[in-house]
Amino acid sequence: MDSLHAIGFYVSATLSVGGALLVALLPERAQRGLAMAGVGLGLAGLYASLSAGFVGIVVLVCYAGIALLVGAPQYAAMASGVGDLWRQVGAVGAAALLAALAYAAYRGDFMHASFYGGALGAASVGRVLFTHDAATTEAVGGLVLVALVGATAAWRRRERAR
Amino acid sequence: MTVSLVAVLLVAAALVAVGAFTAAWRRDLSAALAALPMMLGGAALAFVGVARFAAATGPALYGQAVAALLAVSALALVALGIGIAGREGSR
Repeated sequence: MDSLHAIGFYVSATLSVGGALLVALLPERAQRGLAMAGVGLGLAGLYASLSAGFVGIVVLVCYAGIALLVGAPQYAAMASGVGDLWRQVGAVGAAALLAALAYAAYRGDFMHASFYGGALGAASVGRVLFTHDAATTEAVGGLVLVALVGATAAWRRRERAR
Repeated sequence: MTVSLVAVLLVAAALVAVGAFTAAWRRDLSAALAALPMMLGGAALAFVGVARFAAATGPALYGQAVAALLAVSALALVALGIGIAGREGSR
């Protein structure tokens, strides 16, 4: 991996993690939507720097949709009812999770890292999706269908109740 | 300047941890839904990183296939969650 890819990787990592922090902390929905778009852009850059350009395009499209959903002003807010103490406990738990995962990443040198120089691209990924992982692809397609139908039905019922 | 598997795993860990923090910190459950794509994105990044750097024993495309599936799943889950939130909020 040359220096240009490495610079792209670290810039994209900063964009994605910084955007994620902004999603967690910003008060306005539109701002959170923009930050989520930044997360998607950063993830796409990370995948591109890891020679996974097709996944980067998929992630870019999906996270654009997620950003539109997160930043949309129409949906209702639902209070969680969790006290401040438990929120702080959850935040400390997230920090502990980060420490544990970082430790696991540093200890992950048991894998013999070597670059697989095979062909990468949309045709190769599509071949894997529709041959080796066909059942998984079908399952995710079903999940997407159920999710979209459920979301549409919920929105229609909400609009009718107004 | 190089990128190693450890760097990829650290970024993935940061995304998962920030997602967990978001889920715990946001008072609004609809806003906490944004934690899902972050955590799934972190997991997908780890898959792609391992497939990129440690795929000497198998094709590197499996990690990419999983990452694409996770991205689509994240979009579907957020759409479903937002739809349910709108429905619950209208009561």
